[in-house]
Amino acid sequence: MLNCADYRRAVLADPQDADPLLRLHRDGCRECLEYTDRLLLFESRLERAMRVSVAAAGDARVAPLRTPAGARASAAPGGLKARRGWLAMAASVLILVAVAGALWLAEPHSSLAADVVAHMAGEPQAWARTDIPATAPELAQALGDAHLRLDPKAGMVSYARSCQFRAHHVPHLVVQTEMGPVTVMVLVHESVSKPERFDEQGYHGVILPIPGHGSLAVLARGQIPSPDMLKQVASRVQDALVWTG
Amino acid sequence: MNDQVGGNLKRNRFHALCQSLRPDLLRFAFWLSRDLALAEDVVQEAMLRAWKAQDSLLDEGAAKPWLLTIIRREYARSFERKRLVTVDIDELVAREEPTLATTQADDLAELRAALFKLPDEYREPLVLQVLMGYSTAEIAAELNLSNAAVLTRLFRGRNQLRALCGEDTRRDPEEC
Repeated sequence: MLNCADYRRAVLADPQDADPLLRLHRDGCRECLEYTDRLLLFESRLERAMRVSVAAAGDARVAPLRTPAGARASAAPGGLKARRGWLAMAASVLILVAVAGALWLAEPHSSLAADVVAHMAGEPQAWARTDIPATAPELAQALGDAHLRLDPKAGMVSYARSCQFRAHHVPHLVVQTEMGPVTVMVLVHESVSKPERFDEQGYHGVILPIPGHGSLAVLARGQIPSPDMLKQVASRVQDALVWTG
Repeated sequence: MNDQVGGNLKRNRFHALCQSLRPDLLRFAFWLSRDLALAEDVVQEAMLRAWKAQDSLLDEGAAKPWLLTIIRREYARSFERKRLVTVDIDELVAREEPTLATTQADDLAELRAALFKLPDEYREPLVLQVLMGYSTAEIAAELNLSNAAVLTRLFRGRNQLRALCGEDTRRDPEEC
Protein backbone atom coordinates (compact mmCIF):
# COMPACT_ATOMS: atom_id res chain seq x y z
CA MET A 1 0.00 0.00 0.00
CA LEU A 2 1.41 3.39 -0.98
CA ASN A 3 1.72 6.22 1.48
CA CYS A 4 1.04 9.84 0.52
CA ALA A 5 4.71 10.74 -0.01
CA ASP A 6 5.27 7.78 -2.35
CA TYR A 7 2.09 8.61 -4.23
CA ARG A 8 3.05 12.27 -4.71
CA ARG A 9 6.58 11.40 -5.74
CA ALA A 10 5.14 9.11 -8.40
CA VAL A 11 2.62 11.61 -9.77
CA LEU A 12 5.16 14.43 -9.74
CA ALA A 13 7.34 12.29 -12.01
CA ASP A 14 4.40 11.26 -14.20
CA PRO A 15 0.99 12.84 -13.54
CA GLN A 16 -0.63 10.65 -16.23
CA ASP A 17 0.63 7.40 -14.72
CA ALA A 18 -2.31 4.95 -14.89
CA ASP A 19 -0.87 2.50 -12.34
CA PRO A 20 -3.84 0.91 -10.48
CA LEU A 21 -1.96 1.26 -7.17
CA LEU A 22 -1.82 5.02 -7.64
CA ARG A 23 -5.51 5.15 -8.47
CA LEU A 24 -6.34 3.06 -5.44
CA HIS A 25 -4.46 5.47 -3.18
CA ARG A 26 -5.98 8.53 -4.87
CA ASP A 27 -9.50 7.16 -4.51
CA GLY A 28 -8.99 6.65 -0.79
CA CYS A 29 -7.13 9.86 0.06
CA ARG A 30 -8.94 13.16 -0.25
CA GLU A 31 -5.77 15.24 0.19
CA CYS A 32 -3.93 13.37 -2.53
CA LEU A 33 -6.97 13.67 -4.79
CA GLU A 34 -6.91 17.46 -4.36
CA TYR A 35 -3.14 17.46 -4.81
CA THR A 36 -3.55 15.53 -8.08
CA ASP A 37 -6.28 17.86 -9.35
CA ARG A 38 -4.03 20.87 -8.77
CA LEU A 39 -1.09 19.09 -10.38
CA LEU A 40 -3.18 18.19 -13.45
CA LEU A 41 -4.26 21.80 -13.81
CA PHE A 42 -0.59 22.80 -13.73
CA GLU A 43 0.14 20.02 -16.21
CA SER A 44 -2.49 21.32 -18.60
CA ARG A 45 -0.94 24.81 -18.42
CA LEU A 46 2.51 23.31 -18.89
CA GLU A 47 1.48 21.53 -22.04
CA ARG A 48 -0.07 24.67 -23.47
CA ALA A 49 3.06 26.60 -22.51
CA MET A 50 5.19 24.12 -24.44
CA ARG A 51 2.97 24.47 -27.51
CA VAL A 52 4.61 27.71 -28.62
CA SER A 53 3.34 29.09 -31.87
CA VAL A 54 5.57 27.97 -34.70
CA ALA A 55 3.15 28.88 -37.47
CA ALA A 56 5.24 31.87 -38.52
CA ALA A 57 8.41 29.82 -38.62
CA GLY A 58 8.27 29.20 -42.36
CA ASP A 59 6.89 26.37 -44.44
CA ALA A 60 8.32 22.93 -44.27
CA ARG A 61 11.01 22.40 -46.79
CA VAL A 62 11.59 18.73 -46.49
CA ALA A 63 13.68 18.34 -49.62
CA PRO A 64 14.29 20.22 -52.83
CA LEU A 65 11.91 19.11 -55.58
CA ARG A 66 14.60 18.24 -58.06
CA THR A 67 15.10 15.18 -60.15
CA PRO A 68 18.57 13.67 -60.52
CA ALA A 69 18.53 14.61 -64.22
CA GLY A 70 17.70 18.21 -63.40
CA ALA A 71 20.36 18.32 -60.73
CA ARG A 72 23.05 17.08 -63.11
CA ALA A 73 21.99 19.49 -65.82
CA SER A 74 22.20 22.53 -63.60
CA ALA A 75 25.74 21.60 -62.68
CA ALA A 76 26.90 21.12 -66.29
CA PRO A 77 28.83 24.04 -67.89
CA GLY A 78 28.70 25.10 -71.60
CA GLY A 79 25.98 25.84 -74.20
CA LEU A 80 25.29 22.27 -75.35
CA LYS A 81 25.24 21.03 -71.79
CA ALA A 82 22.98 23.92 -70.85
CA ARG A 83 20.55 23.03 -73.69
CA ARG A 84 20.65 19.41 -72.59
CA GLY A 85 19.90 20.72 -69.14
CA TRP A 86 16.85 22.59 -70.40
CA LEU A 87 15.68 19.50 -72.26
CA ALA A 88 16.22 17.41 -69.16
CA MET A 89 14.30 19.92 -67.08
CA ALA A 90 11.47 20.02 -69.62
CA ALA A 91 11.37 16.23 -69.60
CA SER A 92 11.34 16.29 -65.80
CA VAL A 93 8.41 18.68 -65.81
CA LEU A 94 6.54 16.40 -68.25
CA ILE A 95 7.28 13.39 -66.06
CA LEU A 96 6.11 15.26 -62.97
CA VAL A 97 2.89 16.27 -64.75
CA ALA A 98 2.36 12.66 -65.85
CA VAL A 99 3.05 11.36 -62.36
CA ALA A 100 0.74 13.93 -60.80
CA GLY A 101 -1.96 12.90 -63.27
CA ALA A 102 -1.41 9.23 -62.50
CA LEU A 103 -1.62 9.93 -58.77
CA TRP A 104 -4.79 11.95 -59.24
CA LEU A 105 -6.38 9.16 -61.25
CA ALA A 106 -5.20 6.48 -58.86
CA GLU A 107 -6.30 8.11 -55.62
CA PRO A 108 -8.67 10.96 -56.35
CA HIS A 109 -10.47 10.90 -53.01
CA SER A 110 -7.92 9.65 -50.51
CA SER A 111 -5.79 12.68 -49.70
CA LEU A 112 -7.85 13.89 -46.73
CA ALA A 113 -7.99 10.37 -45.27
CA ALA A 114 -4.25 9.92 -45.90
CA ASP A 115 -3.48 13.16 -44.08
CA VAL A 116 -5.69 12.15 -41.16
CA VAL A 117 -3.89 8.80 -40.94
CA ALA A 118 -0.49 10.52 -41.20
CA HIS A 119 -1.52 12.74 -38.30
CA MET A 120 -2.44 9.69 -36.23
CA ALA A 121 1.05 8.29 -36.70
CA GLY A 122 2.40 11.35 -34.93
CA GLU A 123 0.38 10.88 -31.75
CA PRO A 124 0.58 7.19 -30.78
CA GLN A 125 0.18 8.04 -27.09
CA ALA A 126 -3.40 9.11 -27.79
CA TRP A 127 -4.47 5.51 -28.36
CA ALA A 128 -4.08 4.26 -24.81
CA ARG A 129 -7.06 2.28 -23.54
CA THR A 130 -7.78 4.02 -20.24
CA ASP A 131 -10.54 4.95 -17.87
CA ILE A 132 -8.94 8.25 -16.88
CA PRO A 133 -10.85 11.09 -18.52
CA ALA A 134 -9.23 14.17 -20.01
CA THR A 135 -9.49 17.10 -17.63
CA ALA A 136 -12.15 19.77 -18.17
CA PRO A 137 -9.52 22.43 -19.03
CA GLU A 138 -7.96 20.08 -21.61
CA LEU A 139 -11.34 19.47 -23.20
CA ALA A 140 -12.25 23.15 -23.16
CA GLN A 141 -8.90 24.07 -24.69
CA ALA A 142 -9.22 21.46 -27.44
CA LEU A 143 -12.78 22.39 -28.37
CA GLY A 144 -12.75 26.11 -27.69
CA ASP A 145 -11.00 27.16 -30.90
CA ALA A 146 -13.66 25.36 -32.94
CA HIS A 147 -16.53 26.92 -30.92
CA LEU A 148 -17.64 23.51 -29.92
CA ARG A 149 -18.53 21.43 -26.92
CA LEU A 150 -19.19 17.73 -26.64
CA ASP A 151 -22.26 16.24 -25.02
CA PRO A 152 -21.33 13.44 -22.56
CA LYS A 153 -23.43 11.00 -24.58
CA ALA A 154 -20.42 10.73 -26.96
CA GLY A 155 -18.64 8.65 -24.30
CA MET A 156 -15.67 9.22 -22.04
CA VAL A 157 -13.02 11.44 -23.63
CA SER A 158 -9.55 10.30 -22.58
CA TYR A 159 -7.47 12.57 -24.78
CA ALA A 160 -8.14 16.09 -25.96
CA ARG A 161 -5.77 18.31 -27.88
CA SER A 162 -5.99 21.15 -30.33
CA CYS A 163 -3.79 19.96 -33.17
CA GLN A 164 -2.30 21.57 -36.23
CA PHE A 165 -3.84 19.97 -39.30
CA ARG A 166 -3.54 21.41 -42.80
CA ALA A 167 -2.59 24.81 -41.38
CA HIS A 168 -5.55 24.97 -38.98
CA HIS A 169 -5.98 24.07 -35.35
CA VAL A 170 -8.55 21.31 -35.06
CA PRO A 171 -9.92 19.38 -32.07
CA HIS A 172 -8.36 15.92 -31.77
CA LEU A 173 -10.19 13.75 -29.24
CA VAL A 174 -10.03 10.12 -28.22
CA VAL A 175 -13.31 8.68 -27.03
CA GLN A 176 -13.37 5.38 -25.17
CA THR A 177 -16.16 3.31 -26.70
CA GLU A 178 -17.44 -0.23 -26.59
CA MET A 179 -15.05 -0.99 -29.48
CA GLY A 180 -12.03 0.52 -27.71
CA PRO A 181 -10.44 3.95 -28.16
CA VAL A 182 -11.74 5.84 -31.17
CA THR A 183 -10.11 9.00 -32.47
CA VAL A 184 -12.24 11.93 -33.50
CA MET A 185 -11.03 14.91 -35.47
CA VAL A 186 -13.40 17.79 -36.14
CA LEU A 187 -12.26 19.17 -39.48
CA VAL A 188 -14.08 22.48 -39.60
CA HIS A 189 -12.09 23.62 -42.64
CA GLU A 190 -12.45 20.41 -44.68
CA SER A 191 -15.68 19.65 -46.51
CA VAL A 192 -16.72 16.35 -48.01
CA SER A 193 -19.86 15.88 -50.07
CA LYS A 194 -20.77 12.44 -48.75
CA PRO A 195 -19.58 9.94 -46.13
CA GLU A 196 -16.24 8.39 -47.07
CA ARG A 197 -14.89 5.17 -45.59
CA PHE A 198 -11.22 4.30 -45.62
CA ASP A 199 -8.87 1.55 -44.47
CA GLU A 200 -5.22 2.58 -44.43
CA GLN A 201 -2.17 1.35 -42.55
CA GLY A 202 -4.23 -0.52 -40.00
CA TYR A 203 -6.62 2.36 -39.41
CA HIS A 204 -10.33 2.04 -40.19
CA GLY A 205 -12.23 5.24 -40.47
CA VAL A 206 -15.05 7.26 -41.81
CA ILE A 207 -15.25 10.94 -42.74
CA LEU A 208 -18.74 12.37 -42.40
CA PRO A 209 -19.93 15.69 -43.77
CA ILE A 210 -21.20 18.16 -41.16
CA PRO A 211 -23.36 20.64 -43.06
CA GLY A 212 -22.07 24.14 -42.40
CA HIS A 213 -19.22 22.94 -40.19
CA GLY A 214 -16.84 20.99 -42.44
CA SER A 215 -16.44 17.33 -41.65
CA LEU A 216 -15.81 14.80 -38.92
CA ALA A 217 -13.16 12.07 -39.11
CA VAL A 218 -13.63 9.06 -36.84
CA LEU A 219 -10.96 6.35 -36.76
CA ALA A 220 -10.32 3.09 -34.99
CA ARG A 221 -7.05 1.19 -35.00
CA GLY A 222 -6.46 -2.52 -35.51
CA GLN A 223 -9.29 -5.04 -35.62
CA ILE A 224 -12.80 -3.61 -35.40
CA PRO A 225 -15.93 -5.68 -34.75
CA SER A 226 -17.64 -4.42 -37.88
CA PRO A 227 -17.71 -1.39 -40.19
CA ASP A 228 -21.30 -0.78 -39.14
CA MET A 229 -20.27 -0.41 -35.54
CA LEU A 230 -17.71 2.22 -36.53
CA LYS A 231 -20.44 4.05 -38.40
CA GLN A 232 -22.73 3.88 -35.36
CA VAL A 233 -19.99 5.29 -33.12
CA ALA A 234 -19.32 8.05 -35.66
CA SER A 235 -23.01 8.95 -35.80
CA ARG A 236 -23.22 9.05 -32.00
CA VAL A 237 -20.18 11.35 -31.79
CA GLN A 238 -21.64 13.55 -34.51
CA ASP A 239 -24.91 13.81 -32.58
CA ALA A 240 -22.97 14.82 -29.46
CA LEU A 241 -21.28 17.81 -31.10
CA VAL A 242 -22.80 21.05 -29.87
CA TRP A 243 -21.78 24.19 -31.75
CA THR A 244 -21.48 27.26 -29.57
CA GLY A 245 -20.61 29.88 -32.13
CA MET B 1 6.80 4.04 -65.02
CA ASN B 2 5.10 2.00 -62.30
CA ASP B 3 8.26 2.14 -60.18
CA GLN B 4 8.39 5.88 -60.66
CA VAL B 5 4.73 6.30 -59.69
CA GLY B 6 5.32 4.09 -56.65
CA GLY B 7 8.41 6.06 -55.73
CA ASN B 8 6.60 9.36 -56.04
CA LEU B 9 3.67 8.05 -54.02
CA LYS B 10 6.07 7.02 -51.29
CA ARG B 11 7.87 10.35 -51.41
CA ASN B 12 4.58 12.25 -51.28
CA ARG B 13 3.50 10.26 -48.25
CA PHE B 14 6.83 10.88 -46.58
CA HIS B 15 6.55 14.57 -47.33
CA ALA B 16 3.01 14.70 -45.90
CA LEU B 17 4.16 12.80 -42.83
CA CYS B 18 7.05 15.23 -42.22
CA GLN B 19 4.73 18.20 -42.75
CA SER B 20 2.26 16.90 -40.18
CA LEU B 21 4.98 16.23 -37.60
CA ARG B 22 7.01 19.36 -38.23
CA PRO B 23 5.26 21.74 -35.78
CA ASP B 24 5.85 19.47 -32.79
CA LEU B 25 9.39 18.66 -33.91
CA LEU B 26 10.11 22.37 -34.22
CA ARG B 27 8.68 22.95 -30.75
CA PHE B 28 10.85 20.15 -29.39
CA ALA B 29 13.95 21.64 -31.04
CA PHE B 30 13.00 25.06 -29.70
CA TRP B 31 12.79 23.83 -26.10
CA LEU B 32 16.00 21.89 -26.60
CA SER B 33 17.94 24.88 -27.90
CA ARG B 34 15.90 27.79 -26.49
CA ASP B 35 16.57 29.52 -29.80
CA LEU B 36 13.93 29.51 -32.56
CA ALA B 37 16.36 30.34 -35.37
CA LEU B 38 18.68 27.52 -34.33
CA ALA B 39 15.67 25.19 -33.90
CA GLU B 40 14.56 25.92 -37.48
CA ASP B 41 18.06 25.19 -38.80
CA VAL B 42 18.27 21.98 -36.81
CA VAL B 43 14.85 20.76 -37.97
CA GLN B 44 15.61 21.68 -41.58
CA GLU B 45 18.90 19.78 -41.53
CA ALA B 46 17.24 16.87 -39.77
CA MET B 47 14.46 16.74 -42.38
CA LEU B 48 17.06 16.61 -45.17
CA ARG B 49 18.87 13.78 -43.42
CA ALA B 50 15.57 12.00 -42.89
CA TRP B 51 14.66 12.50 -46.54
CA LYS B 52 17.91 10.87 -47.64
CA ALA B 53 17.45 8.00 -45.18
CA GLN B 54 13.70 7.53 -45.63
CA ASP B 55 14.12 3.94 -46.80
CA SER B 56 15.38 3.04 -43.34
CA LEU B 57 12.01 4.01 -41.85
CA LEU B 58 10.11 0.75 -42.12
CA ASP B 59 7.09 1.68 -40.01
CA GLU B 60 5.40 5.06 -40.47
CA GLY B 61 4.04 4.76 -36.95
CA ALA B 62 7.59 5.09 -35.69
CA ALA B 63 8.27 8.24 -37.70
CA LYS B 64 8.01 10.66 -34.83
CA PRO B 65 10.60 9.04 -32.54
CA TRP B 66 12.80 8.36 -35.58
CA LEU B 67 12.75 12.03 -36.59
CA LEU B 68 13.17 13.14 -33.02
CA THR B 69 16.34 11.09 -32.65
CA ILE B 70 17.69 12.65 -35.85
CA ILE B 71 16.90 16.11 -34.46
CA ARG B 72 18.71 15.39 -31.19
CA ARG B 73 21.78 14.22 -33.12
CA GLU B 74 21.60 17.23 -35.42
CA TYR B 75 21.37 19.54 -32.43
CA ALA B 76 24.45 17.87 -30.92
CA ARG B 77 26.24 18.38 -34.25
CA SER B 78 25.44 22.08 -34.12
CA PHE B 79 27.68 22.24 -31.04
CA GLU B 80 30.50 20.61 -32.98
CA ARG B 81 30.14 23.00 -35.92
CA LYS B 82 30.24 26.22 -33.96
CA ARG B 83 31.26 27.33 -30.56
CA LEU B 84 28.09 28.41 -28.83
CA VAL B 85 28.37 31.45 -26.66
CA THR B 86 27.18 31.25 -23.07
CA VAL B 87 24.34 33.69 -22.54
CA ASP B 88 22.40 34.98 -19.60
CA ILE B 89 18.96 33.34 -19.19
CA ASP B 90 17.24 36.73 -18.98
CA GLU B 91 18.89 37.70 -22.27
CA LEU B 92 17.69 34.43 -23.81
CA VAL B 93 14.14 35.08 -22.60
CA ALA B 94 14.25 38.63 -23.95
CA ARG B 95 15.61 37.45 -27.30
CA GLU B 96 12.88 34.82 -27.72
CA GLU B 97 10.11 37.08 -26.45
CA PRO B 98 8.02 36.87 -29.67
CA THR B 99 7.94 33.07 -29.39
CA LEU B 100 7.37 32.99 -25.65
CA ALA B 101 4.66 35.66 -25.69
CA THR B 102 1.05 34.57 -25.44
CA THR B 103 -2.19 36.28 -26.23
CA GLN B 104 -4.08 34.04 -23.85
CA ALA B 105 -5.39 35.39 -20.59
CA ASP B 106 -3.46 33.02 -18.34
CA ASP B 107 0.17 33.27 -17.38
CA LEU B 108 1.74 30.94 -19.94
CA ALA B 109 4.51 33.44 -20.64
CA GLU B 110 5.69 33.14 -17.03
CA LEU B 111 5.68 29.36 -17.33
CA ARG B 112 7.61 29.54 -20.58
CA ALA B 113 10.24 31.78 -19.02
CA ALA B 114 10.49 29.33 -16.11
CA LEU B 115 11.03 26.47 -18.59
CA PHE B 116 13.95 28.42 -20.05
CA LYS B 117 15.52 28.49 -16.61
CA LEU B 118 15.32 24.73 -16.07
CA PRO B 119 18.63 22.91 -16.53
CA ASP B 120 18.83 20.98 -19.81
CA GLU B 121 18.88 17.61 -18.06
CA TYR B 122 15.47 18.34 -16.53
CA ARG B 123 13.91 20.29 -19.39
CA GLU B 124 14.51 17.69 -22.10
CA PRO B 125 12.81 14.69 -20.43
CA LEU B 126 9.97 16.96 -19.35
CA VAL B 127 9.40 18.16 -22.92
CA LEU B 128 9.59 14.59 -24.20
CA GLN B 129 6.96 13.53 -21.68
CA VAL B 130 4.54 16.47 -21.78
CA LEU B 131 4.81 17.69 -25.36
CA MET B 132 5.79 14.53 -27.22
CA GLY B 133 3.81 12.07 -25.10
CA TYR B 134 6.74 9.76 -24.40
CA SER B 135 6.49 7.13 -21.68
CA THR B 136 9.21 6.84 -19.03
CA ALA B 137 10.68 3.82 -20.83
CA GLU B 138 10.72 5.66 -24.17
CA ILE B 139 12.46 8.66 -22.62
CA ALA B 140 14.97 6.33 -20.98
CA ALA B 141 15.71 4.69 -24.33
CA GLU B 142 16.03 8.03 -26.15
CA LEU B 143 18.29 9.61 -23.52
CA ASN B 144 20.18 6.42 -22.76
CA LEU B 145 19.26 6.55 -19.07
CA SER B 146 17.70 4.11 -16.63
CA ASN B 147 13.97 4.38 -15.88
CA ALA B 148 14.80 5.41 -12.33
CA ALA B 149 17.08 8.21 -13.53
CA VAL B 150 14.35 9.49 -15.86
CA LEU B 151 11.77 9.49 -13.05
CA THR B 152 14.18 11.38 -10.80
CA ARG B 153 14.79 14.01 -13.46
CA LEU B 154 11.09 14.38 -14.17
CA PHE B 155 10.36 14.72 -10.45
CA ARG B 156 13.08 17.33 -9.95
CA GLY B 157 12.21 19.19 -13.13
CA ARG B 158 8.53 19.47 -12.24
CA ASN B 159 9.39 20.45 -8.66
CA GLN B 160 11.72 23.24 -9.77
CA LEU B 161 9.28 24.45 -12.38
CA ARG B 162 6.41 24.63 -9.91
CA ALA B 163 8.58 26.49 -7.43
CA LEU B 164 9.71 28.95 -10.12
CA CYS B 165 6.06 29.60 -10.99
CA GLY B 166 5.07 30.25 -7.38
CA GLU B 167 2.94 27.11 -7.08
CA ASP B 168 2.15 25.91 -3.58
CA THR B 169 4.79 23.22 -3.02
CA ARG B 170 4.40 22.92 0.75
CA ARG B 171 2.73 19.54 0.41
CA ASP B 172 5.32 18.20 -2.04
CA PRO B 173 7.25 15.17 -0.83
CA GLU B 174 10.97 15.15 -0.22
CA GLU B 175 13.05 13.37 -2.80
CA CYS B 176 13.98 9.80 -1.82
